[in-house]
Amino acid sequence: MKRAWIGWSAVAGLALLAVGTWIGLFVAPAERHMGDVQRIMYVHVPSAWIGMVCFTAAFVFAILSLWSGRRVWDDRLVGAVEVGVVLNALLLVQGSIWGRATWGVWWDWDVRLTTSLVMLLLFAGVLALRRLADDEGRRASWSAVATIVGYVDVPLVYFCVRWWRSLHQVQSTPETVDPAMALPLRLNAIGLLLVAIWMASRRARLEGARRIAESAAPPARVVSEEVARA
Amino acid sequence: MRLARQAWLIFRKDLLLEWRGRARTVSVLLFGVVTLVLFSFALGPEAEPLRRGAAGFLTLALLLSSVLGLNESFRLEQEDRALEGLLLRPVEPTALFYGKALGSAFLLLLLALILVPAAVVLYDLSPTPAGLLQLAGLWALASAGLAAPGTLYAAITGRLQSQDVALPLLLFPLVVPVLLGSVKAMDLVLTGDPMHQLRSWALLLAGFDAIYWSVCGILFPFAIEES
Amino acid sequence: MPEGVIVGGWSYVIAAYGITTTVLVLYVISLFKRAAVTAGEAPDDH
Repeated sequence: MKRAWIGWSAVAGLALLAVGTWIGLFVAPAERHMGDVQRIMYVHVPSAWIGMVCFTAAFVFAILSLWSGRRVWDDRLVGAVEVGVVLNALLLVQGSIWGRATWGVWWDWDVRLTTSLVMLLLFAGVLALRRLADDEGRRASWSAVATIVGYVDVPLVYFCVRWWRSLHQVQSTPETVDPAMALPLRLNAIGLLLVAIWMASRRARLEGARRIAESAAPPARVVSEEVARA
Repeated sequence: MRLARQAWLIFRKDLLLEWRGRARTVSVLLFGVVTLVLFSFALGPEAEPLRRGAAGFLTLALLLSSVLGLNESFRLEQEDRALEGLLLRPVEPTALFYGKALGSAFLLLLLALILVPAAVVLYDLSPTPAGLLQLAGLWALASAGLAAPGTLYAAITGRLQSQDVALPLLLFPLVVPVLLGSVKAMDLVLTGDPMHQLRSWALLLAGFDAIYWSVCGILFPFAIEES
Repeated sequence: MPEGVIVGGWSYVIAAYGITTTVLVLYVISLFKRAAVTAGEAPDDH
């Protein structure tokens, strides 16, 4: 029942993304100083928001995973972290392209981008840790611990980097959003959110299926293969 | 308080073991010095770039050495399954965490005794006595900032095959605030602080320490539980 | 052309949107592929 809901809202999300992108690219006015390049914002800002939503959800799932001990929360954590990592990586690429266009450099230690880079490393680390753990229970606890510890770090990193940068010249991406620009931004944000929820829930289901496949008797199959070969 | 007493006993035990196996601790100290020298080769031999980078080199040497020390802190427990023995005794996992984290922080602090003089020599620094005290304080804050999450992650990665790469992989992004804070603050001490920013950076380090010494203590039991 | 406007900005915009769309599509495809692989490994499957 719930899966159907998520699936259909993802379709709606895609529609919203299509409409929002269309408006953003062709209807909304060009920004005064940057011209058309600024249209990257309509995919960049939603990616940032929804990436953050994913990691926040992962944080909540991590707490629930430790508190309840139920593996389903671990599955959902994986979904949220993986989708968050994908969006964050995209965020960095988009930001780099935008930076190249406006400032001529591929990277300039912008506060938000730098924080996103550290976030990417933190949460990619959670995923890497999972691959190294072979016991299901430990994998779940460790992922949750690493997620919580990493998430708590995010505001610290943000303030730190902001302060670090304020000692140098500050070039931040412009914030002012004129109302004509707000609409495609919001459409894309909601659209991306719906699509992200669908991707994360599919990933969670995949993790659940893997868990079950993993704990089902592989040794028996190995033995039968041995017998068949003999 | 039982918890405090247990933590203290574990702290003492770890220090005693370190003293007995002090060849390894000495090796970590030497490693720190080697790192400082490598930075000189990479960025020297002009004195000015070295002087300007001194705070960064010191912090990085601390960070790299910490990984060696942290990996060690749980390796001992892995041998003969000592960790399970400890937990059965019964030692509160939280006490175990604080005892070990204190031990690691203490050892990192010890590094300062060798590395700061080495840096003064190699990078031609001239800190005032007050400056040296400030450096010591900052080093303590940075060591604490590395020790808490480091101990938590060492407990996790100690169980893994590829533990030696997993620990830095997890720890380094996490301690970016410690890295930035330590470098900036030490730099202010060494090269002057016209706008009195030192206190703010020190408070940031202290804040990081406060947050992580509590959060990691709370999470530690989950990290070592056998499910 | 007003001062400060970046000419030829469209190539950057296309690059950004293009990469984003491509990566998301590839990710979704990978989700389906991995699901198929896991279903193949399921215990009731000989």
